[in-house]
Order: sequence, then C-alpha cells, then structure tokens
Amino acid sequence: MAGEVELRALRKHFGEAIAVDGIDATIIAGEFFSLLGPSGCGKTTTLRMIGGFERPTSGEILLDGVDVAQTPPHKRNVHTVFQSYALFPHLSVTDNVGFGLRRRRTPKPEIKRLVKEALELVELGGYGERRPSQLSGGQQQRVALARALVLRPALLLLDEPLGALDAKIRRQLRIELKALQEEVGITFVFVTHDQEEALSMSDRVAVMSEGRIEQIGTPAEVYEDPATVFVADFLGVSNLMEAEAERVDGGCRVTVGDFPLRAGCGDLEASGPVKVVARPERIELVAAESCAEHGNCLPGMVERTVYLGTSLQVMVRLATGAQLQVSITNTGDTGGFGQGTPVGVHIPVDALRVLADRRPGPEEEDVAEAATAA
Amino acid sequence: MTVTDFQPSPAAAPPSQRQAPRRGGIFAWLRNPWGQPRFLVGVTWLYLAWALVPVAIAILFSFNNGKSRSVWQGFSIRWWWGNPTQSVFHDPSYTSALMHSLLLAGLDMAIATPLGVLLALGLARWRGRGSGAANSLMLIPLVTPEIVMAVSLFVVFTQLAVLPFTLIKLGTTAQVVGQVTFSLSYVVVIIRSRLASIGTQYEEAARDLGASPIQAVRLVLVPLLMPAILSSTLIVFALSIDDFVVTQYMSSNSSTTTIPMYLYSNARGGTSTPALNALATILVAVTLIGIVLAYLLYTVLGKRTATTEGGLMALTELSGMEG
Repeated sequence: MAGEVELRALRKHFGEAIAVDGIDATIIAGEFFSLLGPSGCGKTTTLRMIGGFERPTSGEILLDGVDVAQTPPHKRNVHTVFQSYALFPHLSVTDNVGFGLRRRRTPKPEIKRLVKEALELVELGGYGERRPSQLSGGQQQRVALARALVLRPALLLLDEPLGALDAKIRRQLRIELKALQEEVGITFVFVTHDQEEALSMSDRVAVMSEGRIEQIGTPAEVYEDPATVFVADFLGVSNLMEAEAERVDGGCRVTVGDFPLRAGCGDLEASGPVKVVARPERIELVAAESCAEHGNCLPGMVERTVYLGTSLQVMVRLATGAQLQVSITNTGDTGGFGQGTPVGVHIPVDALRVLADRRPGPEEEDVAEAATAA
Repeated sequence: MTVTDFQPSPAAAPPSQRQAPRRGGIFAWLRNPWGQPRFLVGVTWLYLAWALVPVAIAILFSFNNGKSRSVWQGFSIRWWWGNPTQSVFHDPSYTSALMHSLLLAGLDMAIATPLGVLLALGLARWRGRGSGAANSLMLIPLVTPEIVMAVSLFVVFTQLAVLPFTLIKLGTTAQVVGQVTFSLSYVVVIIRSRLASIGTQYEEAARDLGASPIQAVRLVLVPLLMPAILSSTLIVFALSIDDFVVTQYMSSNSSTTTIPMYLYSNARGGTSTPALNALATILVAVTLIGIVLAYLLYTVLGKRTATTEGGLMALTELSGMEG
C-alpha cells in the first residue's frame, strides 16, 4: 500500500533557533500516526516539512521510497487539513472541494462526481452551494477534510484540526475522524498537543520535545511504558519521585527517602540515583496503621481532596516531603479522606516504574531540563 | 412581578433630580453628568459648521442666476449647462481642465494600483536583510512634504541628462509619473494591511491542493484582495483628482491644466463666473464619491470574503453598526 513515510535525520533551523533537531521515524502505510508534544516542540514544523511548506535544513523525507525533501508542495501527493481549515471564502463548498481536481485538469463531469462523493463521505451532501462562512466550525472542518481526501493523497497531514472546536464537538469528531481514516485507508499524520486526542485516535504516537522524538509507540506503550521522564510527565500526571536504585534478583529495590520499595517495571537494570513514577490511578490509599502489612507502602497525610464526579483526586504529602496525586474511582463512599488524615500510600510493585536518571550524553540532559521546565 | 416594575417611572424620581436642569440654569444643563456631553457636542457642531459652511456656500453660488460669485440673484443652472458658451460643460477652458484631470486620474489608477499590489506582495514576502528598512522607507513618500517631492522631481526631470529621466518630458508624462510616485505608497499601505489580515494560510492551502505559486496568487490571493484593490484604486483616483502641487510642477502648458490648477489660477480674478464654482463642486463631488465608494467596497466586500462571519453579518454591515 502506498503512503509510507520515512524521515531520516530531519533537521530544520530558523536562523539560530533549532526547530527540529534530527528526527528519524518511519510512518507505516495506512496507519494513524500522531505527533504529540507541547507547543514549540517542533511537531508542526515537522508536519510542514512533510507537506513541503518548509524546506529542511538537512535530512531526507522518503515518501514511498522517494526523497521529496526538495519538492515543492504542489508537486507532492500529500495534502493537508490546516488548523484554521483555510477554506477559500470566495468559493462555494463545491468549488473548494473541487479546487485540487481542477488543478489536475480532471474532466468536469468527473470532478462533479468526485466532489459529490467526497461531500457525502463527510456527511455534507446538501451543502455544496453554501459559502464556508455559512457553515459551523465542525462543518468547515469536514469540508477541509473532503477537500484534501477527494485528491486521494498518499498521505494526509492534519495540523491540530480539532483545536478550534468546542469540547463536545471535538470528542464526537475524534471518533468520526478515526472511523473515516479506517474507511479510506489513507495514512494520517496528526499533530496535536492534546494527549487524550493522540491516545484515543492513533495507531502509533511519537512524543516530541525540543525538536526531538522522545518515544514512538502505540498509545498503550507510551502511556504505560514511558521511555523517558519527559514522556511520563507529559502523558498525564506522573508522580515523579527521586530515589536510589539497587539491583536485586527479579526486580529492583529503590529507596525513596528512608523507605525501601520494590519496583516492577521500567529500567530495572538501573542503579544509583533514579526517578520513579506511579500513575495516580494505580496507587491505592490504605489506612495508616495497615501500611506495614501491605508492603510497598509509604506513610503520608492527605493535603487536599478534589471532587471530580467520576473520581476523587487526593493530594498526599508523603513523609519524605514529596507530593503524590492519587485518583480514586467514585464508588459512592468518598468520605474518610479529609484534610490532615494520615494514610498509607500503597504502590503495587508492578505500578512503580524506574526511569534511569543516567546522563550519558547531552541529549538526555536536555530532556531532563525540559521535564523540569514543564 | 414583571421586569418593568423595577424601572422607576419619571413621576417616581425625586423632585430634586427632576428639577435640576431648570434650577441650575445653562451651566447645570451643560454639566448634567447623566445626559449627553452637551458641551463637547456643541464644540463639534461649531467646528463642522466652520469647516463645511464655506464649501456649501461655494457650491450654492454655482447655482447663482447672476454673474456674481458673492451676491445671490436667484437659482439657475445656467453655469452648469444653460449657458451654451460659458457654462462649465461648454467653455473649452473648463472642459479641457476636466478632461485632463480625468485622464491623469485614469492613468494614475491604471499604473499605481497594479504596481502597488506587486510592491505590497514583495514587501510581505521579503524576509531578512533590507526588508525592515524597505518597509519603513515605503512610508516616507506619505510624510514627505509634497512641495519637496514636487521640486525634487522637477529638478530630476529637467536637469539630469541621463536615462530614464531624459525620457520624461514635462507635461502629461511627467504629471503621471509624479502622481504615481506619491500615490503608490497609499496603495501599498492598503494592500499590505489586507494581506496581513489574510495571512499565508489560503495561499498555502492552494499550493497544497496543487496550485503553482502563480496560480495560488491568481486564483486565491487576488480574489481575496479584490476589495482592497478596488478601494485603493478609488483612493488613487481621489488623490490624483485633488492633487495640485506635483501636478502643477510637472505641467507644461495650458493643455495640461487640471481642475485644481485652473481653480488656483482663476479663483482670485474678478472675471470668473459661477461656472468656476461649478467646477469646484465637481471636484468636491468626485472626490467624495471616490472616498465613499472606497470605504464601502473595503468594508462590505472585505467582510463578505472574511472567513468566520456568518450570514447575520450582512445585516450589521448594512445598518452600519460595524466598521
């Protein structure tokens, strides 16, 4: 299947500023691939280089094996859904969708048929005569999709296409967009800073920071098995704690403050100073007295409780001084966690992850800085 | 209980408030902090009268039945049309000035507008060394005293015996070149601001969909710029029709006399008839029409091609609530 992209040592400098700092990635044909990261991480610049709007400083962009890095955008079979949609306000919806076909000198009856099909695909069958300004944000977004998809691109680029919509429509379009991608089978490269969006739609996610890719993997991999402190921190609350690691058989012993714990995942080969993380939803709160029986338990005190409806967010100040966030599912009984209540924080062995704090090269140093800055 | 119950009726207001204007006299009436800013409104009306009444009187006297331009002798259109030799549309010295003004305006529009669009596009895209300076220098013609520009151009066209200046002869050619020189900046400023609000996204989208750089400009950017192009054309028209200093310096003989030049050389003489007032009225009218059309085209068309507004905007546009 066409639509495979390979980025090789891709770099982009804007004067002194380095926007993209040597990226290597392979995007498999037909997959929904997301570039996820905070603003300024280089994800949009990467997308614009794939689209042809920015010329790489160095590196290659292989589209089905052919380097297109020096090809202007109108000669690439790659189309973009822009963040602001960029629908031509002086043209009707039909003429917007037919714009690319006319550039290809497609015969008129053929254009008419393809435009009609494309509009039906995005469920805007009767809207052809309208102007973009007469459509809602969600409808405009669909027109932008139809305008790009009608050209049967090898690759569709989406630059935060849901960013301008309100939360409810955004959630709905998320599902529709994923279904649409599966239906047309075109490779989608999706740029977003919203981790929920990236996790819910993508086949694979590349987490970016400071112009580099931190980790590429399935949503479950990057969330459950973050490779770096940055990824752990960016994908939800990660409860980072400083610790000392010591290698033992069948796992890793870490000491947080004065408390020994066993860690079951992450970089179990590590020793010396490390960071450990545990997801808020994997931590259990137990009575302070029963802490010892549970094992892998840290004493602490409830500092603040936030009621979120489906769950309860409890901030716990550990005896070590660190603060942990714990998420408790609302099962009806949400009492007992008043401010100042002493509790035991039980972190199951397989929920405690070791992230090595080694600093072999300058690359990882930057990452750590980014993580602390974020 | 309905909402209207909350609004105190006039009778319910305390008597001291109701009678405040009468008791305080004219100063309290002016000072009323809840009402209109009456003093400021008064000053505004005074100024408007001061500025507009003389023009209105000049226009009125173009309809005078007598030969005088200062003593009213009844209404007539003889100086507009009725008099077969001396009316503004029959006397050759008037019609020649009118036609020459329109010729210069037409040539100025035809040259300055497309050239200005190209300059604006160039300035918008030019990045790096020199672009900032060029952007600022573009504004200099707007603030240069016109007499300085006129004298400089005069010297260059008459004294410098090098190409291309030797090709520019005083008369229509020099007048057009002079007018284009100073009106170009206005076009650039108008087109630039429109370009800035359009942004690069539409052009990029066109490129993305397979349009070459030139096609993207022709098929997307120019239609989006059209309101600004039309309105800057009309601004150029108004500038050209109105211009005196540069046009005067660049002129050669009586055949290159424009309306403002004719008015200047005849207004003080005692021999002129109210046809001169008619000529002045024509100048006022065409300038005004040009400016109003430019404004309407820019706002109404500009909004129609804007991206976000819905159909409701058309109503507010027409009622003049916006802009």
